[in-house]
Amino acid sequence: MKIDFVRSGGFAGLRLAVNVDTQDLPDAEAALLEKLIRDSGFFDLAEHIKSPSGGADRFEYRLTVSEGGRSHTVTVSEAAVPEGLRPLIDRLTEMAKGL
Amino acid sequence: MDHHIDPLLCIIPPHMLKNIAEKGTDAQKRAALAALSASARIREQRTAFIKAMVVKVPAAISGKHRAVYSANNLTSLPGVLMRDEGAPPSADVAVNEAYDGSGAMYDLYMDVYQRNSLDGNGLRLNSTVHYDKNYDNAFWNGEQMVYGDGDGQFFNRFTISIDVIGHELTHGVTQYTSNLDYRNQPGALNESFSDIFGSLVKQRTKGQTADQADWLIGAELLTMNVRGVALRSMKAPGTAYNDPVLGKDPQPAHMKDYVTTLEDNGGVHINSGIPNHAFYVMAVEMGGFAWEKAGRIWYVAARDDFNNTTNFQSAANLTYKVAGELYGVGSIEQMAVAKGWSEVGITVGVQPQPQPQPDGCLAAPVAFIRSLFSGKS
Ligand SMILES: [Zn+2]
Repeated sequence: MKIDFVRSGGFAGLRLAVNVDTQDLPDAEAALLEKLIRDSGFFDLAEHIKSPSGGADRFEYRLTVSEGGRSHTVTVSEAAVPEGLRPLIDRLTEMAKGL
Repeated sequence: MDHHIDPLLCIIPPHMLKNIAEKGTDAQKRAALAALSASARIREQRTAFIKAMVVKVPAAISGKHRAVYSANNLTSLPGVLMRDEGAPPSADVAVNEAYDGSGAMYDLYMDVYQRNSLDGNGLRLNSTVHYDKNYDNAFWNGEQMVYGDGDGQFFNRFTISIDVIGHELTHGVTQYTSNLDYRNQPGALNESFSDIFGSLVKQRTKGQTADQADWLIGAELLTMNVRGVALRSMKAPGTAYNDPVLGKDPQPAHMKDYVTTLEDNGGVHINSGIPNHAFYVMAVEMGGFAWEKAGRIWYVAARDDFNNTTNFQSAANLTYKVAGELYGVGSIEQMAVAKGWSEVGITVGVQPQPQPQPDGCLAAPVAFIRSLFSGKS
């Protein structure tokens, strides 16, 4: 499973990104990511999830997951992240920071 | 599709919804609601609309009223009230910075532009500090200012730079005036507006003229670990930082370097470098305190003439027009506006190109808009 993750925007406008192939990860780490993707219902999420409340300087997340023959990209505002997707975004943000 | 926007959102931008809610006839309100009800997909917008109708009770408070809350490193807003207007300083430095910074910003808008708070009607200035843990950001959520503590490694607390506070608060002013779309060129203008007035409040607090100011955004925000002087430079966009971990300041200073990207809502924090630099050039050209003339021209143009789709070329034409109205056609000020835009590759007076429409907007049925205003649906 391949995961491309980008966080952009925010007041600082700094780009934070990581590309992961779960094959290259230790088993436990790969299993965790695969579970987080499953739990989020990732392939059923809308392509664009925006906040109705407006505002400015929120982060914008863009995730692409490719698995087998299928691939799905979700762009979501920090203000509108579905509960189920939050743990995956938190983990990928840590990975992008090298944690 | 990367620029999908709900067609109804295109047809009825929030400022218009608000207008209808406040000033529309009963028939118009009913028509708007009925039309919105037609689709379950736009449930959220409908909720916002209903909220706008309910919240139209005018705030009786007039004058400066600040309230600073703490989220205590959680994410629920506004959090616990730490300091209300007139209360003595807190032991918490971030609370005091948010209080003092929003006060200085209120004063800039009130004393210089005779604007009573964000909405022009004394809206209470609510701020929350200590949002989340190690949070590297500050934002405006549509109702209030929110500040993170920073990670301590690269970023200090976000209240440490008064221009960050001015930046967030100005997002509120923009919301209540031009309501520039937060995407592509209108979004970059929205960002630029916030940087400009953020820098102006810092300059006014320090009593600096245009040529004395550093024109940096977030200078105090970066820790000693970062190779850079600030997050953005209006004087020299693209030169604020160049760090092995954070990367290089990506801001362009000229249209030839305009960045087309799908990220960051179309690069709103990147391409803001272009209008930022135009403002810097014209302010220095005019001389004196930048908030007095250059700031007034931009404030008045945005308040009276910008709308949610204003792009760089329209902004250039409108600021030029307003400079003529305020200071005279052919005045030094109006020439300075033309020079500022010219230095970033924009010639005032050129007809703005039609903006590429986000997906969905082209399909906006004109009949729907008509029905909204005729009261039929
Ligand atoms: Zn901003």
